[in-house]
Amino acid sequence: MSRSSQHPVLPETTIFLQTEHISVKYGETLALQDVSLQIPSNRVTVLIGPSGCGKSSTLRCINSLVKISAGKIDYCDASVHALSETDLRRSMGYAIQSVGLMPHLTVEDNVDLVPRLLGWDRSTRDERVIRLLNLVRLEPQTYRKKYPHELSGGEAQRVGVARALGADPPVLLMDEPFGAVDPLTREQLQDEFIRIQRHLKKTVIFVTHDIDEAVRLADYLVIMRDGRIVQADTPEQILSNPVDDFVERFLGPDRSLKRLSLYTADHCCVGEVVSGTSRPSKDQLPIGTHDCYWQIDEQGKPISGFTRLHGSVVERKICSASHKVQTYSSLKECMSTILSLGLPAAAVVDEEGKLLGEVRFDTIQKISIS
Amino acid sequence: MKLNDSQQKVHRKLAGIVLLMFTVSFFLPLLLTRENRIAPEIPITIIDIGLGFTLLLLIPPGMMILYGILRNVRVTEWVRTLSGFLGILFPVLILALIGPQRISTLGAFSRFSPGSGMYLYLIATSMIFIMDARLKLRDYAGFIIILGVLLSLGATGAYSQLGIVLEAENFGNRLSREIFAHLRITGISLIISMSIGIPFALLTFQNRRVRKLIFPLLNVLQTIPGIALFGLLIAPLAALSRAFPLLRTWGIKGIGNTPAIIALSIYAIYPIIRYSFTAFSNLDGSIVLAAKGMGMNSRQIWTLVRFPLAAPGILQGVRVALVQTIGNATLAKLIGGDGLGVLVFEGLGQASVDMVLLGMMLIIALTLAADRILYVLITLSTPKPLRAS
Repeated sequence: MSRSSQHPVLPETTIFLQTEHISVKYGETLALQDVSLQIPSNRVTVLIGPSGCGKSSTLRCINSLVKISAGKIDYCDASVHALSETDLRRSMGYAIQSVGLMPHLTVEDNVDLVPRLLGWDRSTRDERVIRLLNLVRLEPQTYRKKYPHELSGGEAQRVGVARALGADPPVLLMDEPFGAVDPLTREQLQDEFIRIQRHLKKTVIFVTHDIDEAVRLADYLVIMRDGRIVQADTPEQILSNPVDDFVERFLGPDRSLKRLSLYTADHCCVGEVVSGTSRPSKDQLPIGTHDCYWQIDEQGKPISGFTRLHGSVVERKICSASHKVQTYSSLKECMSTILSLGLPAAAVVDEEGKLLGEVRFDTIQKISIS
Repeated sequence: MKLNDSQQKVHRKLAGIVLLMFTVSFFLPLLLTRENRIAPEIPITIIDIGLGFTLLLLIPPGMMILYGILRNVRVTEWVRTLSGFLGILFPVLILALIGPQRISTLGAFSRFSPGSGMYLYLIATSMIFIMDARLKLRDYAGFIIILGVLLSLGATGAYSQLGIVLEAENFGNRLSREIFAHLRITGISLIISMSIGIPFALLTFQNRRVRKLIFPLLNVLQTIPGIALFGLLIAPLAALSRAFPLLRTWGIKGIGNTPAIIALSIYAIYPIIRYSFTAFSNLDGSIVLAAKGMGMNSRQIWTLVRFPLAAPGILQGVRVALVQTIGNATLAKLIGGDGLGVLVFEGLGQASVDMVLLGMMLIIALTLAADRILYVLITLSTPKPLRAS
């Protein structure tokens, strides 16, 4: 396969599709110029850039909602190769910012739309709807008969995602799917998305203008400006080596912290920790100021952390959820926990709240230097 | 029953207007009697009906004054509703009791009718009901009672000498025939204009050039006066039916129902195209984009998304067209067509006010019924979640 793009591609992936020098014109204005891009299979590709940079147009070229005026798109993957326009769209789940749920159809019928277009039989479709609603954490019994106007913004977005996944398409095209909700809900939806994607491993092409969202979700990040691609690479690479001033400005002044959000706690969690059910005696406490002692209760949940500071023993109570981290928490969150407790490490707990290990400040430091 | 201050203010103002109308009505003839259908009318005013009946007629206006003075909302609303019912009941009673008595000396062909005073009195009363945006159950209960009174009085023959009743009797079978003819002309025109108008609205919606052409054209057609359009069609249709005698066997000729139907269809097309076009263009773009993005072909977008969502808007246009066509169909008579226009224009020709009134009342009744039916259809066609309840 010829690699026409000059941008690096993800290692150990196959190419789902590649665009070769595509351009798009809306009347006289050039929306896309000479965009060459390779989308990896089973990974999340995020297109990001300021408004009008052509990210949505690129997405719409892929399911041919927008006609390209020059260049071509190669659908390399067998699942979409040489399909007709409508079949192509049916094989690609599509979720958009305004959600675009059919106001006259129930949640169930909305989710069921593509399977029905594809002519699946009734019982398969019923099962599918229930599975999808469970997947996006909407209780099927409560939600299937509701109408879109009865849903909150976040619920509507979930239904939008469920509908995009309707016929189990190999590809998902998402155009700012979490754009219209409050930051808290948006973060929840992103968590859900990461959870679902780990499980389903779809080829996802995701458009956003939110750099935090992009860094969080992307396996492959494409930064666009004025209808061109400025840089396309892994988020790690882009955060450590922005190609020009524009990218650097776009990433913001806290890009080192953003890099930390790429790694999760399990990435560098140390399992061997000093802990005990009682308060530590002088000699139980580790020697170095970079070491911690964790006091745990009978169930193994951490209660307090101890460390030495200027020769004296410091105790910090662990009393709220923000005082400990989960295996899937980002290193950015770990860093925040470390700073808020003033201990040299953060306690990592499992789903039930039992102490699993710790993430140490010096480990995080090493990662951010590398 | 909760009313806010501004609503109450409006109600009080309306009550003032109602009182004014009541007052004026007392100076106009309450009843008219005639020796025969075209004889000059003899007016009967409030002075002629005796003190008892006069006092009866004064009760509803008196209650409206009470309504304006009282402050307790619970009481005033009951006073208002009651004055409304009495305001219908008393004229109906007076008509039945005084009418036959007054014409008993005038001979076999004599008749009586409500006078302008009574009409104004009834209009004033109906304004009492219009104050409510929506009629309540107790209003409907009251109407049924009044209808019962009316029917039982009718059964005793109290209204048999009423002008309108006599005219209806004169017409006999012809009356129902004209009603059906009116409905047939209206229905055919509506079907023609819908089957042309809705596809045209589609075309207009999709093609900018057609849009620029069609709306000015429709505007011009709309400005041609009704009778002129009826008349304009006579010559070409007459020529056509002369040239192709076969057409004549289908009823296509210069005069009669065919040109009327053609003219009515042309008029009805405008609201249908206008409303359908608006219904199509009001659709949220993101819904269509999502539908397309999910892989609906254009036929599916129309049948599954655009039409279901536009249906109430399209029917709204049909409603306007229907109401307008029922009224305009009256003119069919002028070029030799059938329908209730026959009553109106023959009545005018014979100087029989009662006959004209009979025709007009039937047309109004048809219009109200059609409007109601379409309203129900619109509600049914609106997807449940979008209904304003």
